[in-house]
Amino acid sequence: MNNVASNSVPTVFTVDDDAAICAGLCDLLESAGLKTRQYSSAEEFLESWNPNMPGCLVLDVRLPGMSGMELHAKLAEAGASLPVIIMTAHGDMPMVRKALKAGAVEFLIKPFQDEELLRAVEEAFAVDRAQRRAEKLVNSIQARAETLTERERQVMDLVATGLTNKEIAEKLYLSVVTIKLHRGQVMRKMQAETLADLVKMSERLNPTHDSDRAGA
Amino acid sequence: MTAAQANRLSRWTMEYGIKPCAIAGCFVLVAMLWTFPLQHVIAYPFVFLFFAAIMGSAWFGGVIAGFVAVVLSSVIITYFFIPPLYSITVAKESQSFLAAFILSALAIAIVSSARKRAESVVRNARDQLEAKVRERTAELQRSNLEIQERERQLRMLTEAIPQQIWRADTSGRIEYCNQYLRDYVGASAESLLRESFLSILHDEDAPLFRRGWESALMAGRRFEAEARVRGADGRYRWFLVRSLPHRSEDGQIARWYGIHIDIEERHSLQQRLLSAHEDLSRFSRTMSLAQMAASIAHELNQPLTALASHASACRRWLQAEPANVSRAATAAEVIVQETTRAANVVRRVRSLFSKSDYVRESTDLNSLIVDLAGLLRDDAIRRSVSIKLGLAEDLPKLQIDPVQIQQVLLNLAINGMEAMTGIDGPRLLEITTKALGTEEIAASVKDRGPGFSETVKTSMFDPFVTTKPEGTGMGLAICRSIIEEHDGRIWAEQSEQGTVFQFVLKVSK
Repeated sequence: MNNVASNSVPTVFTVDDDAAICAGLCDLLESAGLKTRQYSSAEEFLESWNPNMPGCLVLDVRLPGMSGMELHAKLAEAGASLPVIIMTAHGDMPMVRKALKAGAVEFLIKPFQDEELLRAVEEAFAVDRAQRRAEKLVNSIQARAETLTERERQVMDLVATGLTNKEIAEKLYLSVVTIKLHRGQVMRKMQAETLADLVKMSERLNPTHDSDRAGA
Repeated sequence: MTAAQANRLSRWTMEYGIKPCAIAGCFVLVAMLWTFPLQHVIAYPFVFLFFAAIMGSAWFGGVIAGFVAVVLSSVIITYFFIPPLYSITVAKESQSFLAAFILSALAIAIVSSARKRAESVVRNARDQLEAKVRERTAELQRSNLEIQERERQLRMLTEAIPQQIWRADTSGRIEYCNQYLRDYVGASAESLLRESFLSILHDEDAPLFRRGWESALMAGRRFEAEARVRGADGRYRWFLVRSLPHRSEDGQIARWYGIHIDIEERHSLQQRLLSAHEDLSRFSRTMSLAQMAASIAHELNQPLTALASHASACRRWLQAEPANVSRAATAAEVIVQETTRAANVVRRVRSLFSKSDYVRESTDLNSLIVDLAGLLRDDAIRRSVSIKLGLAEDLPKLQIDPVQIQQVLLNLAINGMEAMTGIDGPRLLEITTKALGTEEIAASVKDRGPGFSETVKTSMFDPFVTTKPEGTGMGLAICRSIIEEHDGRIWAEQSEQGTVFQFVLKVSK
């Protein structure tokens, strides 16, 4: 549970009140060389949950106390990006729809084939990896943006909206030459090779009109 | 003296004074006037006319007039015709003559008036009789008219009632139908009067109707039945036929009155209700079955999921390079445990359904079937299926759960009827019973449906096997489990006309 371990190897977290199923799933996942953790309830999982741990969640719908769907909703609310695979013995369509709408990666109806689970876990891991990479990218852009002065940040935002140097100069009551200097400084500090790179970075910093995971 | 008294007195005077005196006077005067000329022709004092006058007076005027006439005649004879003439005295030799005259005259007066009285009594009596007869005749005529009028009104009433009414004689032959019935039946109204009305009933209702009607005729009890009656347009409508015996004063049945009440609307409503109800019960049956199946599925899915996972894991551990035998062994161990768990679930489910309400009652299979036929009647009519029972007599009683066995019969019967939907020929469902030796009783349900294929034959009693789009596939499976629980056998055979389902139950010793 320490950060060193969690940061390196993705883990499959299985939550099912039926210990035999939990054990079975973990046995299967481990036989495929995956790292697993078992929980018998949603509450138990939340207690030991660390958002930094990569991997995915394999969740039974019917649980004592907090249900699987509720746990899923709660994680989404907390902004956790952990991909979720939902399992149930009742394959009713409304529930499937609900789960997929809530952002579940896969919906498995018990009993399922080992390949189904492994494929779903594989997919979930891929989603998790992509999300974490995107997150890391945003973090590094943010770190770079923090080195900018206030004026440089202003110039970057206006450049990103598509204004020319002259227009920016008029807007900020500065000379075009000054704007050009600031702009060169911004490109250097943000490590942007082209104008397009800079625009993309600005978009990631100010996710106003799109999802923050766009382009991930 | 009051006016009434005066009136009575004057009438009395008239009746007993003036009228007799006048009559007597007239007769005697006539006699005297005729005697005057005649006395010259006849030598003896001629008094015979006075006898006639007295007789006439007594006859027409009564006894008083008779006596007045006797007195007047005696005086006149004494004065005018007995010597010495024109004197009131009588010569000695004529005294006996006068005495004889007076006596004879009195006798004549009395006899004549008596005769007259007797005759008038007779006449009076006759007159009264005649008057009475006339009166009676008039009364009779009046009451006859009244009866006719009343009958006319009654007939008008029966014609006016918007229901079909008939009257039949003691043997049940129809004598009279009202206009409504004639209009409804149309062309066959004439034959209705001649024959019994069984001819206008639907073929399927006629036998039951005939039985009911005949037994009502025999017992003299009121009769009521529902049947389809053919109208003038050839279409049938449902009627409630009700008939009451009318008894004469000696208690014998004089005639039967019947009324047909149109219940087509009610009947179709009832049918719709019934079919809705059936749909509902079928729906709820499948619903509860679905729920049960879901919970069983869940119960079984849990161990199966664990089993499948461990089994897959076990294979993977063994396929790995190098094979992880210890993990594989652990997985295999869990598999064994989980198998036991799954088996326990199955055992629990089974114990849930088995013999929890074990009932055995001494039951007459035939009466079960008769009851069932009653239950099925409406359903059969709706599907245009005739049900024919062929029940062996004197079957021994069986130790069975009557509800369960009836369930089996019901299931087979409904299957049979459903099998016949859409066939062209006669839709006949035969339910028969027979003894197989002394140890077993066989019951069979035979339909005229299309039969079944060889592939279905082997699996038709298995659960979830169905050829019907909305069937659950549980019907025959349940039938078989019930029959086997009763130590019996059930099977299906293809007959030349359809399918025969047959089951055999043991007669308990």
